[in-house]
Amino acid sequence: MLSYTLKRLIQGLITVWFIATATFLAMHAVPGDPLSGAKAMTPEIRQNLEEKYGLDKPMSEQYLIYMGNLARGDLGISFTQKNREVNDIIREHFPVSATLGIMAVVFAGLGGTLFGALTALYRNKWPDTVIMIVVILGISVPSFVFAAFAQLAMVKINGAIGFSLLPVAGWGSVSHIIMPALVLGLGTMAYLTRLMRSSMLEIISSDYIRTANAKGLPPTRIFLKHEMRNAVMPVVTVLGPAIAAITTGSFVVELVFAIPGLGRYFVQAVQQLDYTVIMGTTVFFGAFLVLMVILVDLLYGFIDPRVRVS
Amino acid sequence: MIPQASVNDQPPLLEVKDLKVEFDTYGGSVQAVRGVSFSVEAGKTLAIVGESGCGKSVTVQALMGLVPMPPGRLKSGTATLRGRNILGTSQIDGQDFRGSEIGMIFQDPMTSLNPTMTIGRQIAETLEVHRGWSRKKAFARAIELLEMARIPEAEQRAKQYPFEFSGGMLQRAMIAMAIACEPAILIADEPTTALDVTIQAQVLDLMGDLQRDHGTAIILITHDLGVVARMADEVAVMYAGQIVERGSVDDIFYRSAHPYTVGLRAAMPINDPSARHRLLPIEGSPPDLFSPPTGCAYAARCPYAMKICSTDEPSSFVVGQDHFGKCWLHHDQVVDGPKKILSGAPMALAGVKTALTNRPSAENKS
Amino acid sequence: MADQQVSASILSDPALQLGAFEPMKSELRVQTLTRPSLSYWQDAWQRLKANKRAILSLYIIIAMLLFTLLGPMVWRVDPAEQDLLQVSSAPGAERSAIIVAPYSAWGILEAPKSADMQSNQAPAHSDTLAPSEAANITGLQLAETATTQQVRLEWQSMAGAADFAVYRNLVKPTGPGTFGLPLGTTGSGEVRRYEDLLDLRPGRFFYSVVAMDTTGGELPQSITLQVKVVNAITLEEAADRQLIKPGETRELGSQVNFALHPMGTDYLGRDMLARLMQGARVSLFIGIAAPVLFVLFGIVYGSVAGFIGGRADQLMMRFADFVVALPFLLFMILFKIAFGIGPGESGIIPLIVAMVILLWPATARLVRGQILQVREEAYVNAARLLGAKTGYLVLRHMIPNTMGVILVTLTFAIPSAIFTEAFLSFIGMGVAAPTASWGSMSNDGIKSMLTHPHELFFPALMISITVLAFNLLGDGLRDALDAKMRSRE
Repeated sequence: MLSYTLKRLIQGLITVWFIATATFLAMHAVPGDPLSGAKAMTPEIRQNLEEKYGLDKPMSEQYLIYMGNLARGDLGISFTQKNREVNDIIREHFPVSATLGIMAVVFAGLGGTLFGALTALYRNKWPDTVIMIVVILGISVPSFVFAAFAQLAMVKINGAIGFSLLPVAGWGSVSHIIMPALVLGLGTMAYLTRLMRSSMLEIISSDYIRTANAKGLPPTRIFLKHEMRNAVMPVVTVLGPAIAAITTGSFVVELVFAIPGLGRYFVQAVQQLDYTVIMGTTVFFGAFLVLMVILVDLLYGFIDPRVRVS
Repeated sequence: MIPQASVNDQPPLLEVKDLKVEFDTYGGSVQAVRGVSFSVEAGKTLAIVGESGCGKSVTVQALMGLVPMPPGRLKSGTATLRGRNILGTSQIDGQDFRGSEIGMIFQDPMTSLNPTMTIGRQIAETLEVHRGWSRKKAFARAIELLEMARIPEAEQRAKQYPFEFSGGMLQRAMIAMAIACEPAILIADEPTTALDVTIQAQVLDLMGDLQRDHGTAIILITHDLGVVARMADEVAVMYAGQIVERGSVDDIFYRSAHPYTVGLRAAMPINDPSARHRLLPIEGSPPDLFSPPTGCAYAARCPYAMKICSTDEPSSFVVGQDHFGKCWLHHDQVVDGPKKILSGAPMALAGVKTALTNRPSAENKS
Repeated sequence: MADQQVSASILSDPALQLGAFEPMKSELRVQTLTRPSLSYWQDAWQRLKANKRAILSLYIIIAMLLFTLLGPMVWRVDPAEQDLLQVSSAPGAERSAIIVAPYSAWGILEAPKSADMQSNQAPAHSDTLAPSEAANITGLQLAETATTQQVRLEWQSMAGAADFAVYRNLVKPTGPGTFGLPLGTTGSGEVRRYEDLLDLRPGRFFYSVVAMDTTGGELPQSITLQVKVVNAITLEEAADRQLIKPGETRELGSQVNFALHPMGTDYLGRDMLARLMQGARVSLFIGIAAPVLFVLFGIVYGSVAGFIGGRADQLMMRFADFVVALPFLLFMILFKIAFGIGPGESGIIPLIVAMVILLWPATARLVRGQILQVREEAYVNAARLLGAKTGYLVLRHMIPNTMGVILVTLTFAIPSAIFTEAFLSFIGMGVAAPTASWGSMSNDGIKSMLTHPHELFFPALMISITVLAFNLLGDGLRDALDAKMRSRE
C-alpha cells in the first residue's frame, strides 16, 4: 500500500510538471508582448518584471526561469495589481472556493448515494419517479440557469416570508454556503444518483445477495452491509472526475452568488489579461486536482479489498 | 446387492404438494413449475435431476423465497417443514427459517459470496443473526466450521476474502456457512457443476460426512447422473416443470419407469476403453413453457409415444414401493410397457453399475 | 408418498378413444426454429425501437436539426435586425397600434401664478372645511385615448386639496401605500390634470390621484382609474418602419400592426425566434463538430495504441493521462487566449480546436480498451485459426464490436459539448455578442430575468431539450448495443 502511494505521488508530480509546461507553452503562444495589455506601468516596474521573468530572453531560458520559480513555490506577481503576489491571491481566495467545493462534493456524494439507493429499492414506485424527475432536471438544465433561477426563487421566498431565510449572495457565514453549495452540487448529484441506481440494481439481483437472503439475514442488514457497501464503489471511482467537474462549475456559482472565490478571480484575471495570475491559478488548480485524484484513488484502494490485498 | 428402501414411521421433514410457479413476462406467462410434489426425510439425500430449464432450481428457490415475486407468482401448492408452512413466507413463528432450519448453497461460489467481506465474517453472520452470538464467539465458531470443512490454516483463511480462495475451497467454505446453524435440511443447487471432477469428489465427500455426523437431510440438484449415483438415496427426475419419475436411486437406475430417465442414462458417456460406443443424445429440445403441450410434455421426443400421449397428460403410475413413473406406458392396455422403457439403454446400465458399486458407504446408510 | 397413485388396473375409462395406445406418428417430432435469426445491428435497432424514450429523443433531435437547417428558410427574419418599437416584448404581447398625430403639448397648463404660491404660507387654521372632512376627489377620467405617446388624466376639484399626487401601478391599489410608482404632483390644488409621459408601455395600468395638504402630506382622499394603454405610432414612423407601404396613408385612429415576433424580442429588439435559429446553428455546430472530431482522433489514437501494444502503448496512454489531468475549463480559456481571442470576442474555430485537444483521451482510452478486449476474445482466435488475415479481423470483428462503444460515447459527448459551450459563453469566454449562441443568449437573458423572463427561458429551454434528448438517446443506444454496458432500468 505504501509503495503504491509513493508511486502515485511521483506520478502526480510528473503530471503537475506536465501541466505547468503546457500552461507555459499555451501562454507563450499568445501573440504580442504580455506586458502590453497592462496599463499604468511605470518604466521601473516594467524593467523589474522583464528581468524577473526574462521576457526579453529566448523562450527556453524563460522556461527554465519559470520552472525554477515554480519549484520554489513562487508563482509570480500580478501584472495588473501592483505588488500583489499570486501566492497571496491564492491564499486569500482559494479557501473560499475550497469550502464551497467541499460542501458541494459532500452534498453531491451523500445525496447521490442515498437517492440512487432509494430509486433502486423502490424501483418503479413513486420515490423512484420523483427522484428521477429531479435527476433529469439536474442533467439537462444548465448550471448557470439553475443558479440564477435558485437565486430568484430565494429572493421571492425571502420576500414572501418577510425575513431572509438564506442569504442570496455574498459570503461570510454558514448560511451563505448553503445555497451555492446546493446549486453547485446538483448536476453532479444527478449524475451520481444515476450511477448509484444502476450499480444498486445490478447488485440487488446478484448471486451473493441471493445467498444473503438464503442465509435468512434481515433486510436492513443486507441493505447496509452487503448492498450499499458494494454499490458505493463505482461511485467512489468517479469521485475524482466529479471533483474536477465541481471545480469547473464553481466559476459560475461564484459569479452568480457574488462569492469571493478563486474561480471568480480567475475569470476577472482573464478579462484583464493578467498573465501571471492566469498561469499561476491554472497550475495551482491543476496540482490541486491531481492531488484530489490521488486521494480518491487511495480511498478506493482502501475500500476495495481486492486492491488493498494485492 | 440392492439395498432396501427403508420404511420410516416418522412423518417426513419437508413435504411439498402440487407446487406450481409461474412467471409473468411480456410474452405471456411461463409455467416454470407445473405441479411438483415430493418429500424429504431426515438424514437422507434427495436428488432432483433434469436438464437445464426443467424447473428444478425454481422449485427449491420458491421454497426458500428466493424467486422474485413479481414477475414470479406462486400459483398453487403447499410446502411444510415439520408441519409448518414455509411457502410464501420466510418465517416460522417469527423466526426466519432460512439459514437456521434450511441452508442453501449455490452453483458458482465465486459470485455467490460478498467480495468485500471476509469469509469468516460471512460465516459468523448467520450465527450472529440467528443465535444472537457476539462477534467474537461467532468468528471463533466460524474458524471451527472451516476446519470441519477441511480447509487448511483455517484461522488465516477466515480473515481472507473470497477472491483469495480456489473454487473448490470456496465451495467448501460455502457449505460451512450453510450448515453453521445446524439446519435440518441442506439444499445444494448444482454444487459441483462449476468444479473439476477431483474437486467434486472432495466436496461431495464433505457433504456426505456432514450428513452422517449431523443427520442433515440434503436436497441435491444436479444434471449429472454420476453425482446422483454417488450421493442420492431418493431421486426425482424432472422434465418440463414436472416430476416424471421418483424412486430410490436403485429404482431409478435399474428399474427406470420413464423413457426420459432412460434417455438420460443413455446419454452418459462411458468411461470404458474396451467398449466402442457412440454418444446417444435425446433428439429435440424441451417444450416451450409459455404454452405447455396438452398431453405428455416428453411426447415429442419419446421413441414410444402413443396417440394418447399427445392428448392426455399421463397419470402417475405406481410401479414399486415408493416408486412411480408418469408415463402411459404403464397403463394396463399397453403390452410390455415397462419392458419397452428399459430396453432403451443397455450400455448405460454397465457404466451405472460401476458407479453404484463404487459408492462410499452404500451399505451404511441408515 | 403424497402424490396421486393410480393403480394400473383401475384405469378403464370408456371415454378413451379406440387406438389411444397405438404408436404415434412422428410428425410432431423435432421442433423447428420459428423465428428468423437477426444480425447484431438488426437486433440492436429492434431493441432501440422498443425503447420509447429513445425514439422520442431521436425525433426531437431530428426536429432540432430541421429547425436549425431549414428554419431560416421558412422564417425569414434577419436575426440582427432591431425592432425598436418592441424591445424586450414578450411573446404574444399586444402588437396592434393606432395611428396618431405627432405629439403636441396639452393646452396651456393652468399653473398657479407666484401669487398663489405665496398663499401657501397660509396658517393651518382656515375657514374652509378641514381637509379630513372634505368630500373625495371625483371624476377621474381620461382626457383622450391613452396611448404610448401620452396618457392624459383630468379630474374634478376637491375643496381643501393643496396639491395632487399622481401614481401609476400594475395592480389595483388597496389603500394608502399601495398606489405604486409616484409620477409626480400637479403643483397646486387648482391644477386638475396630469399628463404621463414616463416609459409608457401597452397594457393595463391603475392610475391614482391622491389629494395633498398644504404641508405636502397626503390626505386620505384618493381616486383610482383603470386605464388601458394602447400602442401609438405616427404616420411618419409607420412609413419609416415599413409597417405601411410607401405612399399609403391611413386615417388617424386606424389600426396598424407591428411586426410579429412569435417568441418575443430581446433587449435590443431583435426577433427571438430568428436568433434562436442562428444560435442553434452555432451551438449545434460546435456541439456536434467538436465531438465528432475528437472522437475520430481518439479512435485513431486508441486503435494504434491497442494494436501496437507493448511499450509504445504504455507511453501513448501515459501521455493521454497527462492530457486528462489538465484542468479542462482553465485550459479552454488559456487556449482561447493563446489563439489571440480576447474576452468578449467570439472564436468558434479556436473553441472547437481547444475542445478537440483536451477531450480526445477519454475516447482513445475506451477504444484501446475495446481493442485489447476484443483481441483476446475466443472468436478472434477462432477466426485466426480458420485462416483470417489481420485486415479481415479488423474489419469484420474489431470495428463492429467497437462501434457500439464509439456510438454511445459520441452521443453522450454531444450534450457535454453543448453544455461546455453554453457555460463558456455564459462567463464570456465562448461565443460573445453579437454572435448568437444559446449560451450567449442565456447570458444576455439572465440580466433581465426578473422583468422579461422570456429572454432567458427560450434559449435555456432549447439547451435543456437538446441535452436531454441526446442523453436519453445515448441511454437507449447503450441498452440496445451492448449487454454488458446495459443499465438495468
